[in-house]
Amino acid sequence: MTPLLDVRGLAVQFPVRGSDVRAIDGVDFAVGRQETLGLVGESGSGKTLSSLAVLRLVPPPARIVAGSVGFEGNDLLRLDAARMGALRGRRIAMVFQNPAYSLNPILSVGAQLGEILGWHEKLPRRRAAERVADMLHLVGITDAVRRMRQFPHELSGGMKQRVCIARALLCHPALVLADEPTTNLDATIQAQILELLQELKQRLGSSMILVTHDMGVVARMADRIGVMYAGTVCETADAATIFRAPLHPYTRALLESMPRADRSYRGHRVLQVIPGRIPNLADPPPGCRFHPRCPEAGADCRRLRPLPLEVAPGHVVSCLRRGSDGVAE
Amino acid sequence: MSGADADQIAAALPRRRLPRGPGNLRQGWRRLRRNRTGMLGLLLVVLVVVVAVLAPVIAPYAPNDQSAMLHFGAQAPPSGAHWFGTDRSGYDVLTRTLYGAPTALVVGLGAMLIASFIGVAVGGIAGYLGGAADELLMRGTEFFLVIPVFIVILAVVRLFGVVVIGTPLEGVPFLNLGAIIVLLGLFGWPPLARLARAEFLRLKQMEFVEAARCIGARPRDIIFRHILPNALPSLVVVAALGIGGAILAEAMISFLGFGDPKTVSWGQSLYFNYQVLKVAPWAVLAPGLAIFLTVLGFNLLADGLSDAFNPRLKQ
Repeated sequence: MTPLLDVRGLAVQFPVRGSDVRAIDGVDFAVGRQETLGLVGESGSGKTLSSLAVLRLVPPPARIVAGSVGFEGNDLLRLDAARMGALRGRRIAMVFQNPAYSLNPILSVGAQLGEILGWHEKLPRRRAAERVADMLHLVGITDAVRRMRQFPHELSGGMKQRVCIARALLCHPALVLADEPTTNLDATIQAQILELLQELKQRLGSSMILVTHDMGVVARMADRIGVMYAGTVCETADAATIFRAPLHPYTRALLESMPRADRSYRGHRVLQVIPGRIPNLADPPPGCRFHPRCPEAGADCRRLRPLPLEVAPGHVVSCLRRGSDGVAE
Repeated sequence: MSGADADQIAAALPRRRLPRGPGNLRQGWRRLRRNRTGMLGLLLVVLVVVVAVLAPVIAPYAPNDQSAMLHFGAQAPPSGAHWFGTDRSGYDVLTRTLYGAPTALVVGLGAMLIASFIGVAVGGIAGYLGGAADELLMRGTEFFLVIPVFIVILAVVRLFGVVVIGTPLEGVPFLNLGAIIVLLGLFGWPPLARLARAEFLRLKQMEFVEAARCIGARPRDIIFRHILPNALPSLVVVAALGIGGAILAEAMISFLGFGDPKTVSWGQSLYFNYQVLKVAPWAVLAPGLAIFLTVLGFNLLADGLSDAFNPRLKQ
C-alpha cells in the first residue's frame, strides 16, 4: 500500500551572505494512513522546516530546492498555487506551537474558524457556524456557542490550543501536522491535549506528523519515529524499535541523555550528555554530519556521507558503522 | 467567600455599557476612557463635528449676509445682535466661525482619506511583498517626503485657478477647495505609508498569519482580514494627527490668500481681517481660536488613541 504522504530527497535552502545554506538536506520520510509519525531531534535539526515544507510554506527567503512530496497521488511540490491553496487546511492542516500567537487577536473564535469553511467548502455562514460549534464541542469545549463569540485573549492557553486543534480538524484533513503542540502548555494541560489529539485522530481517521523534541511525548503518541539531526534523517523505525533497539549512534545518545524515572543517577551513573554541539549548517562537517560528536566515528565517516539502508522491514538507518553505503562529497 | 457574597458584590459593581466590537477595540476604548487628555481631545473633536453639522441651524445669520453694514457697520464690537462682533467686510464673526467648521472638517477628513488610501496601499504593498518592490516604493515615498509640499501646493493652486478660467471646469463649485484637499492628500501620505509598511512587515511574520496561510487563506484574506485590521489602531493614530495637520495647512494656505474665495474658512477670515487686528481683534480671535481648538482636539485625540492602543502600557 502506498503511504499517504511520501517525502523523498527534500532539501530546503537559505541564502546567507551570498552562499546557500542547506537547512534540510535530502530528507526522506513517509506517513501511512491513520499513522502518527513522530519527528524528533534537537533544535535546528529541521523538524519544523520539514513539516512546513510539506505545506510548501517555508518562510522566505528559504526555498525548497529539491525533492518530492507525494500526497494523495500528487507531488505537492509541483502542484499549482491555487490547487495547493485549496489543499491547505482541507486535506492537510497544521497545529502550531504557540496557541497564544496563532489565533488572530481581533477576530472572534467563531469568525476565524467559520471563514475556513467559507473558503474550502463554500458553506453559508449559518451552516459554517453549526459545523464550528460541533467541532468545538468535539475538542472538549463546553458551551461552544458562547465561546464562539469570544476573542482569543478571553480564553486560557489550553482552551486556545483546543481552538487551534478544532481549526485544524474542521475540514477533516487526511493529515495533521502538529508542531510541538504542547510545548507552551503546562504539564497537566499537555496530557489533556495529547490525549485529545490521539482520540480525534482515531475518530476522524487522520494521519499525523508530530514534531517535538520531547521523547516522552513521541513514546506516547507515535507509531513510527523519524530521528533528525542537522537537516538529515538519521534513523526511522517504528516507535518500539527506536526505544528498544536503536541502531544509529545519535538515536542511542539521544535516548541516553533522557532522564528516566526507573534509573537512579546516584553513584557512578550520571546522565549522559552528547558532547559537542549541533553543527553550523553554513559549514557542515564533511561526510556523516554526526561524526564529530559520534563515539563510534571512524576515518571513513569523515569522508563519506552515509546513505539510508533498510536494515529490517520499516527500519531505515544512515550510518556507515551499521552497513550503510557511503558516497564521497 | 460564599456564593451569595460574590453575587452581591457583582450586583453592586457598576455595570458599564461597553461598545460592541472586536476585542482590542473594546480594550482600547476602555483605556481611552481613562485617559484624560485623550477624552478632552475627543470632546473637542465631537464639539467641532456637532457645530459643523448644526452650523446652518445655530448660526444667527447667513454666511454671506453683509446686512450688518446697514446698521452696525463693519468692525462693530461684540453686541447682543452680533455676539462676536462684525468683521472688516460686515460679516457676522460668529456665523463665519461656525460655518468654518464644516470646511475645516471636509478638508481634514478629505485630505486624510486620500492620504490614507495611498499611504496604506503603498506601504502595505511594500511591507507585504518586501524585496525589490519594497525598496522601490520606499525610495519613492522618500522622494515625496523631501518635496517642499507647501510651496508646491501654493504654486499648483494658483496655476490651477488661472488655467480653469474659460473652461467648463470654472463653474464647478468649490473647485479651488477641492484642489487644495486633493493636493494635501497627494502629499500627505508618506508618514502613513511608512507606518503601514512597518506594521505589515511586523504582522506578516506573526504566527497567526502563518497559521492562516496554513489553513488555506488566500493572499487577499491574509491582507484584508488578518493583517490590515491588526494594523488599523496605529494607522488611526497617525491619521488623526494628519487630520489636524491638514486643517492647519488649509488655514495657512488660505491665510496667504491662496484659498478658495467662495468658501467660508477660518484661514480665509484671518486673511481678510489681519490688517484690522488692532481695530477689530474679535474678527481674528474667533477664527484663530477655532483653528487652535480643532487642531488641538485632533492632536490630543491622536495622543490618547496611541496610548490606548499601545500594548506596552497595559495596566
